[in-house]
Amino acid sequence: MDMFRYAAWLSRDKSIAEDVVQEALLRAWKSLDALRDDAAAKPWLLTIVRRENARYFERRRLETVDIDNLTASQSALLAEAPNEELNDLRQAIYELDDDYREPLVLQVLMGYSTNEIAELMGLKQGAVLTRLHRARLKLKEEAASEELS
Amino acid sequence: MSQMNKMMNCKDYKEALTADPGFEDESGHVDSCASCQAYSAEILALDEKIAAAMAIDVPVLTMPDLPNIDTEKVVPLIARRSMPKPAWFALAATVLLAVFVGIRTSDMGAPSGTLAEQVLAHVDHEPMALRVTSVSVTDARLAEVVPDNLAEMNHDAGLITYAQSCIINGKSIPHLVIQGEYGPVTILLLPDEKVDAATTLDGVNIQGVILPVGNGSIAIIGSREEQLDRIKQNVLDSVTWST
Repeated sequence: MDMFRYAAWLSRDKSIAEDVVQEALLRAWKSLDALRDDAAAKPWLLTIVRRENARYFERRRLETVDIDNLTASQSALLAEAPNEELNDLRQAIYELDDDYREPLVLQVLMGYSTNEIAELMGLKQGAVLTRLHRARLKLKEEAASEELS
Repeated sequence: MSQMNKMMNCKDYKEALTADPGFEDESGHVDSCASCQAYSAEILALDEKIAAAMAIDVPVLTMPDLPNIDTEKVVPLIARRSMPKPAWFALAATVLLAVFVGIRTSDMGAPSGTLAEQVLAHVDHEPMALRVTSVSVTDARLAEVVPDNLAEMNHDAGLITYAQSCIINGKSIPHLVIQGEYGPVTILLLPDEKVDAATTLDGVNIQGVILPVGNGSIAIIGSREEQLDRIKQNVLDSVTWST
C-alpha cells in the first residue's frame, strides 16, 4: 500500500503508479541479492519506486501534468475523497510542485524523518526542511481560503 | 536543533513546527506561549487532514506468481501495459517484504550482457549504496572489501561511504561509493576485466566510464551533473593492483 500510494503521489496518476509499482517490484525481485540488511527493505523499495517513476517519465518524455486537462487516471486520484474538505485538500496536494509534494508524502504518509527524506532524495536536511515548511504553508493557505469561500 | 532550542522564539518555533510537526521544543517556549500552543494545535490538525487526504484507495491486493529470477523472462513494461491488468501490482509491500526475507538465500546467478551493461545494471540494482552521507567506511571495512592481494587503495579517491564485495561477470569485485559534488559516485574495481580503451557509460540520469588500468579496469559512475574527470584522476592515483 505504501509503495502504491507513494508512486501515485509521485506520478499524480494511478495508472502510471500501477506500472511503476509493477516494474519496481520486478526489479526488486531480480536484485534481491542487493538487499543485505532486512531493516533497510522499505527505503530500498521506495528508492526503487522513485527511480522507476523517474525512468518512466524520462522514457516517455511525459510533460508536466496539466491541471486543467486531467486524464481519467489522473482525475481518479482526486475523485475518491470522502468529503469536500478533504477533496479540496487533496486537490491542493495534487497541485503542489513535485519538489514540495514528495518530501511531504514521505514525511506524512511514510513517517520518514527529515534526515531520512534527505538521504532518499539526495538533498541536504536544510533543503528538506525548507520544502516541507513551504509545502505546509501552501496547504494551510489553501485550507484557509477554502474556509473563507 | 538544540542550538535553535536555546534561542527559541515564536517565529523559530512556528517555522520548525511547520517543517516538522514532530519537532520537540526542548527550550520550553511553547509551554509559556499561548500563540504557539494554538499554532501547534492548528498544524497538527492540518497534518491529520493531509494524511487523510493522501490515503487514497489502493486496488484489491492479490499475491502474484512471481517470475523466476531470470532477466530474460521479464516482460518489458510496454508489453505488459497492453495486457489485461491484473490487480497484483498493488500487492502490499508488507507481503513482499515477507517474501523477500524468506528468500534471501536465493542464488541470483551472474547477469548476462556486456561489461558496460552489467556495470550499469549493477549500479541500478544497488540503490541503497547511493546514500548522501558524510560517514566514511572504516579502514578495516575498506581493507576487507579491497584485500591486499587484490589491490592497494587509500582514501585519496574521496570520502568513501560504501564498500561491499559484489559479483560482476561471476567474479567478486569491490563496489565502493564516494561522495562527489553532485551526489554519490560509484567505483567498481575490476581487476580481471581487461578493456582496450576507455568505455563511456550512459544510463538513465547517470553517466560514467570504464577505464583500462593494467590488466583490469575501473568503472566510475556518477550523476550527469558530476564532473568525473577530477574524480577519475583521484581514483586512478589511489588504486594500485597487487598483481
